[in-house]
Amino acid sequence: MSVWEIVELARHPQRPYSLDYIRRLAPDFIELHGDRLSADDPALVGGVGTWHGRTTVFLGHQKGRSVKERVARNWGMMHPEGYRKALRLAHHAAKFGFPIISLIDTPGAYPGAGAEERGIAAAIANAIMEWFRIPVPIVAAVIGEGGSGGALGMGVADRVIMLENSIYSVASPEAAASIVWRDNARKVEAAEQLQLTSREIVAMGVVEEVVPEPKGSASADYDAAARALDEALHRHMRPLLEQASAELLQHRYDRFRYIDSLIQAEPHFGPKID
Amino acid sequence: MAILERHQEEVAIQGDELPEILLPTNCPGCGIALQPDELRAHNYVCIECGHHFRLGADVWIPLLADKGSWQERWSDVRSHDLLNWTVPKPYQETVERLLEDGLNEAVRTGTCTLDGKPMWLAAFDFGFVGGTLSIVAGERLARGMEQAASSGTPYVLVTASGGARMQEGVLALMQLAKVNAAVGRLHAAGVPFFSVLTDPTFGGTAASLALLADINIAEPGAAIGFTGPRVIKQATYADLPPGFQSAEFQLAHGQVDLVRSRTELRPLLAHLLEMYS
Repeated sequence: MSVWEIVELARHPQRPYSLDYIRRLAPDFIELHGDRLSADDPALVGGVGTWHGRTTVFLGHQKGRSVKERVARNWGMMHPEGYRKALRLAHHAAKFGFPIISLIDTPGAYPGAGAEERGIAAAIANAIMEWFRIPVPIVAAVIGEGGSGGALGMGVADRVIMLENSIYSVASPEAAASIVWRDNARKVEAAEQLQLTSREIVAMGVVEEVVPEPKGSASADYDAAARALDEALHRHMRPLLEQASAELLQHRYDRFRYIDSLIQAEPHFGPKID
Repeated sequence: MAILERHQEEVAIQGDELPEILLPTNCPGCGIALQPDELRAHNYVCIECGHHFRLGADVWIPLLADKGSWQERWSDVRSHDLLNWTVPKPYQETVERLLEDGLNEAVRTGTCTLDGKPMWLAAFDFGFVGGTLSIVAGERLARGMEQAASSGTPYVLVTASGGARMQEGVLALMQLAKVNAAVGRLHAAGVPFFSVLTDPTFGGTAASLALLADINIAEPGAAIGFTGPRVIKQATYADLPPGFQSAEFQLAHGQVDLVRSRTELRPLLAHLLEMYS
């Protein structure tokens, strides 16, 4: 399969979205709304459900299936209010000691004037910083598109896994092509250069595991895809539940602080510790 | 002793005298013919209209550090091509050419004093692949912030960046998390963090440490935002009003504390360092 075919699978309109997984993982899921400041961002769903016998906070980017829903969900592109809602629910989880599952599936944060006016940069920055202080276990999974800062704003976790046909990238192939070539038609070349497939990302040490998808990709069998995701999430979550919060937060810090250690270990990179 | 000697060698720039920079013949703000020496003495701010010329780290360091106080750190940490990036031109060649031109990555950092008050200083350099956040830039930032947090030394940041560096792929994106984790350490340690936002500050740099300071100071007219205006127009067909994403726009929208001329920056920082010591 070519890199571009993987990009197309990751974005496939029939691919299971966050709510398809959450409703299978926790059938009693209750969606909770709002950032408690000004709005509710429908591009991010959040709520509570019982998962493997434990109340768990679920967060996930949500793309829409129908045209009407796509518009309403803004194609899974969050506004500042979404990051504020995520942190609100993260603090909610911390209060009750609930673990957090974050499902990532976004082309990126919303590139619009309103998002800029309401502080999208600071909202993402603050979310990324605050995740390091949430003293409960967090496991994130890239289930489709992991696009740029908009994805990372929901992707600071103790473990991060990726579905086989998902992508994770510093920018969408279109945006990267536009930046590097000033021509977003060069998206296929950009996708190849970016090394954004799950196999490439796991080889860089950025995620812990690639979760195999059912035959014909996750789009072909939602139940089997959800079972595979559930098994992997639970296997990563279980040991985290045993850890004291101070240890958990230290490990989370180290996970991202030394995430490029494979590269830094190379001889032509400078001294690792001064 | 070996470490001390190495740091002695790294004292490359001293003094308040700013280096010369490449300038157009006329000011892009008001069109007057520029007098390079006069402009240099005025911190590269147009005397007529107040236009702020973009500065590299080589100018920012002597502008803020007391003469002879600059101790650069980790200048030998080098980036290299890890994704085998070849088009439109090989990343490795780009990096090597910039090093030959005397630039040393998108962020330079070290310790110095400002009016005798010790601080960490990190300055972005837009001339190095658009000041993009790379593994080396992130590493220099994170190490400096960790050391500032443990020694209780105030941290001053000067930004000028297009965002994360495409040519380092998802590892460049991960630098946002790496540096923000370190910003959290600064805050937890009660260490003052002052950010000076210069033209332009966008993307992953704006969405990481740039706006997370205790006090965000923007230069007049600096463009600051997440998504650049060209991409916003492409994506949404919106007409953006004049001044959209300017420092003054960010002040009006609650993202920065102050908009201050570069000519007032040094005394402002000196006063802040005094108040927060």
